[in-house]
Amino acid sequence: MSVELVALQKAFLASMRGAAANRAASDQLMPALALGRNATPELGLAIYQNAYGARLREVLENDHPQLGKYLGDVLWLQLCGGYIDAHPSTVRSLRDFGASLPGYLATAAPFSSIPITAELAAFERRLLDCFDAADAPLATWQALLATPIKKWPSLRPQFHPSAQLHHAQWNSVEIWRALKAAALSSAQRPPESCATSADWLLWRDSGQITRFRSLSADEAHAYAHFRAGGDFADLCEALQERHAPELVPGIALGILQGWCNEDVISAWGV
Amino acid sequence: MTPQSRPYLGFGLGLRAQHLGEILENPPAVDWFEIISENFMVAGGKPRRNLEFVRARYPVVMHGVSLSIGGTDPLDQQYLHKLKQLAQEIEPAWISDHLCWTGIDGINSHDLLPLPYSQAAIKHVVTRVNQVQEFLGREILLENLSSYVEFSDSEMPEWQFVAEVAQRSGCRLLLDVNNIQVSAHNHGFNALDYLAGIPIDRVWQIHLAGHSVHGDYVIDTHDHAVPNAVWALYSDATRRFGAVSTMIERDDHIPPLAELLAELNQARAAQAEALGQMITPP
Repeated sequence: MSVELVALQKAFLASMRGAAANRAASDQLMPALALGRNATPELGLAIYQNAYGARLREVLENDHPQLGKYLGDVLWLQLCGGYIDAHPSTVRSLRDFGASLPGYLATAAPFSSIPITAELAAFERRLLDCFDAADAPLATWQALLATPIKKWPSLRPQFHPSAQLHHAQWNSVEIWRALKAAALSSAQRPPESCATSADWLLWRDSGQITRFRSLSADEAHAYAHFRAGGDFADLCEALQERHAPELVPGIALGILQGWCNEDVISAWGV
Repeated sequence: MTPQSRPYLGFGLGLRAQHLGEILENPPAVDWFEIISENFMVAGGKPRRNLEFVRARYPVVMHGVSLSIGGTDPLDQQYLHKLKQLAQEIEPAWISDHLCWTGIDGINSHDLLPLPYSQAAIKHVVTRVNQVQEFLGREILLENLSSYVEFSDSEMPEWQFVAEVAQRSGCRLLLDVNNIQVSAHNHGFNALDYLAGIPIDRVWQIHLAGHSVHGDYVIDTHDHAVPNAVWALYSDATRRFGAVSTMIERDDHIPPLAELLAELNQARAAQAEALGQMITPP
């Protein structure tokens, strides 16, 4: 490969990534560009520069529609510009371009002082991940009932690949819902944010529809327990710390049956 | 004369999310669909289910935007493995990407960027095309770009660059007639010279699209109906290359499916008329 081609591509990309910040890159590139008939080198470069930002902004807009509404036009443009500068794409598919957005929002001013924005972004990323997560067969309740009782203590249910937990420290999901339901004009304010602590389960059902709902404390505990590789017997033992022993089997089985009916369980892991 | 070895699929459309509901409900009279490869390099869910549905009913070709065949970073092996896996799963009629570079130093611009038309660049691209074709176990198609800058290092016109890459690597060509029109306008060359410089047997597919006119220059937006100048150039291309699989490529401001089907019928009529005007040897 020629050194000249490498240098040309470095200068070209640097110039594309920002006219103002990379003035030196543009200046370095100019001698390598020929004078066109209808598109001067300056105009040609400007077309590439504009397309670069517009394309990446469009991806963020498509993937984070409610976050955009929450922030409003001015902050949204500031976020896009800052993120595009700080996290240039290193992925082949634009679907993954915004993967670092929650982390950026959590650490970059002024967004780091609005912590719910990182949570909103994280929730929208999880929705994307649910949408195209791997397919898997679904477990049936009948299959569990057909499993010998003596094997139940060692059950380790496996979740559908789309199943994910969103732990919220803010009312991010409630705000996301409100924003989605209401076509807010820029003059309207979104709901007030407030601190909370809630666990939300997201998954894709057998109709390929992305679902989410909040988890009870027992469900959240059971989810974390099975994700950590725990079995049914240990779950029942843990649940006895907050429920009467005679109630625990019913509670634990109720959780599993609920998940099974909602298409969250892929296999019973016996 | 149409080369005997060239497969002919007829008239296709780019598979777009906006039309999926209609396609799933009432599969339209389209001969084949082109998919954007990267959109289906996902684990599962609706994208893959919908693709399975379409593939069960239509021939499909894969069109990528991230190969960066002219890039100077090493070829992305992970991407190539995903591309090969997708191809094994859906068995496309062929796989295409663009004769361009898309990024450097691990950064992807997600744009299709032009190369200098030099012998050094040809050698570089041909080496990489050979590597890709060997890995995939098949020829690929490369598409010509629309571009807004030219390089002072260029040693030849774009069509000679395209032709040499194809002839020396053995790859085929996806000729985007709109892109030729756009670049001809912006850089001041004759689009017919371009067509005349492309080897007939290399061209396996044609893209038809629209563009935006901004005073003295033209931007390839692929968001308009095919304009008259592109239709005229398509007829010229057909008279030179014969019956080439043709599709309407709309990437933005996606109109209702019926509108694209009507445009596709216009392409059928244009190709038939142009084929009738071809000079056949005695």
